[in-house]
Amino acid sequence: MTGARAVRLVAEREIRERLRSKVFLASTIVLLALVGGSVALQGALSKQETYRVAVVVPAPHGLAAALQRGAEPFDDAKVELRVVASPAAGRQALDADEVDALLLLGADRLVFRSSVDAKAAAVAETAVRELRHRLPPEPELQAATLEPADDETTDAEVLVAYAGSILLLMSLAVYGQWVVTGVVEERSNRVVELVLSAVHPRHLLAGKVLGIGLLGLTQLALVAGLAAALLVSGAFDAPRSLGGDVALVIPWFALGFALYSVAYAAAGALASRQQNADTAGQPVTYALLAVYFGGYVALSSDPSGPLATLLTVFPVSAPLVLPARSALVGVPLWEHALALVLVLGSVYALVRFAGRVYAHGLLRGGPGLGLRAAWRLAREP
Amino acid sequence: MFSLLDAHKRFGPIEALAGCSMEIERGHVLGFLGPNGAGKTTAMRAIFGLVELDTGEVLWDGHRVGPDERLRFGYMPEERGLYPRMRIGEQLEYFGRLHGLEAGAAQSAASVWLERLGLADRAEAKVEELSHGNQQRVQLAAALVHEPELLVLDEPFAGLDPVAVQTLADVLRAEAARGAAVLFSSHQLELVEDVCEDVAIIDRGRIVAAGDLDALRRSSQRRRIAVRLEGAPHDWLPVVDGVELVERSNGDLRLLARQDVDPELVLEAAERSARVVEFSYGPPSLSELFLELVER
Repeated sequence: MTGARAVRLVAEREIRERLRSKVFLASTIVLLALVGGSVALQGALSKQETYRVAVVVPAPHGLAAALQRGAEPFDDAKVELRVVASPAAGRQALDADEVDALLLLGADRLVFRSSVDAKAAAVAETAVRELRHRLPPEPELQAATLEPADDETTDAEVLVAYAGSILLLMSLAVYGQWVVTGVVEERSNRVVELVLSAVHPRHLLAGKVLGIGLLGLTQLALVAGLAAALLVSGAFDAPRSLGGDVALVIPWFALGFALYSVAYAAAGALASRQQNADTAGQPVTYALLAVYFGGYVALSSDPSGPLATLLTVFPVSAPLVLPARSALVGVPLWEHALALVLVLGSVYALVRFAGRVYAHGLLRGGPGLGLRAAWRLAREP
Repeated sequence: MFSLLDAHKRFGPIEALAGCSMEIERGHVLGFLGPNGAGKTTAMRAIFGLVELDTGEVLWDGHRVGPDERLRFGYMPEERGLYPRMRIGEQLEYFGRLHGLEAGAAQSAASVWLERLGLADRAEAKVEELSHGNQQRVQLAAALVHEPELLVLDEPFAGLDPVAVQTLADVLRAEAARGAAVLFSSHQLELVEDVCEDVAIIDRGRIVAAGDLDALRRSSQRRRIAVRLEGAPHDWLPVVDGVELVERSNGDLRLLARQDVDPELVLEAAERSARVVEFSYGPPSLSELFLELVER
């Protein structure tokens, strides 16, 4: 039998048995409901807003009324139109926070202070298009900001960054724990001896990680996919481009899981037979939490600083930090590439190390092993 | 044919296998005997690569055994274990497939074995819902579901009731009749005498005797003599050179004599002191042979 066949059989069994337990199904439904529910919650919580828009003289006839009509779909938001003498005066008013947006009809631009308000932009666009229906047709407004957009992150970006990394942290910890539990149970009920009489430990490890990982990835893809789709469709009061940042969580779960699940499996194999799965997985869970909080601290103090950059590419922290930082301030392509290469390299090294620890740990009865003994085992020829 | 050649394995200060060799032909059942700690389990685990030998070889038909050959072997480990929350039908099917059976073949083999072991109506039950005895049956089926060419069972009779012992003995003989080579270890020596013709006795990591059971018994340097007397003094012993007492209860004596001792001398001595009700002479039983060979 080829290794691939054994891996597939083990993975299939993991998926079939775990789907049967209903835990997976129930938690997926709950998470989807949370994402869907947050749309409804946002709608219920959003207050009636007033958009203050400045326009340079002369204001076209009917602009105020058109803006108000454009705002109607947004819970009857109010629009205050202020006429300024020149674009410079308008920028001054914008800078001084006297208005939220400056409409430069000659240049077809809508200028915000530091970040584009998607709703206000939509209102202005609708109004201008309506006005121009009578005047010359076509062009739409270009949204712009007075200051570079990166200087300040919006609430939505912060929310996406932290919700995304919490989702990642939880998924990695929950599915990693499934791996530990599976490994510890196979040892404690002793079926592992029978399985290993036909399957190489490496293939058992790979099948288990693959099966559980696919379940985790499916759940995360459904949840993050729904959130990304809602963002792109504009259901949230947030820039649509954030949908891409949310979707980034999915591949990084796969990478992070490849890294952490193998560590979880090795921890499970090293535990003593009497030890339960919760304590066996603790070292890895603590490492995950440390990385999460380290990333949180680094990102909230200075998301563009050297520590945040380092954590973005450091393989152990990259899976949690990179997607969050991408949502907050964007991550240059070379950092994506470097992080990817480093994580894949670490997965390869860890699989080789943990694979040996796993094989030795599984076949050994008796007490648990410390890290030093594990290291010795893994280095044995 | 299965062969283990000059296997050595050391665990720290303990030499578990010290040049252990054995052979089993297709169609034969070999009883693997030895005191606790003699190396039985280590030798059996080595067949499946669960113990890496320091030196020595595991061969099947003269070829070194690797992962592909092991798929054609069946194993019942000393420490029994199955997936407790998995249905037994699916579990057998899974182990069949792990050993290379296709889905359909594994499914039908699983049902055949459940039927044969009287568990056909429990195929949907989880292992943890079964009685201890039924769990043992599933464990046996897991070793057999893929029709192994070599069957290795570590203490398969331990903890079985007499009915289950009979069933298992029948299954082992049937597997050999099908053409499998069967190796099982046991402490229950009377049972071994019933089930198999061939034995291998291991002591301190070395095979001390192997071959046809009757031939081994005949080749022993000793003979057993059983005498039942009436009216003999309670401390009566035959004064014959080379005869020693093994056990005495009331008038029953069990004696071991050197092979060259004439049993007539013992019988005559007995008849001089009391009435002899029973007298028997022959090669030692397996238990006696075992004790002789592994004497410490």
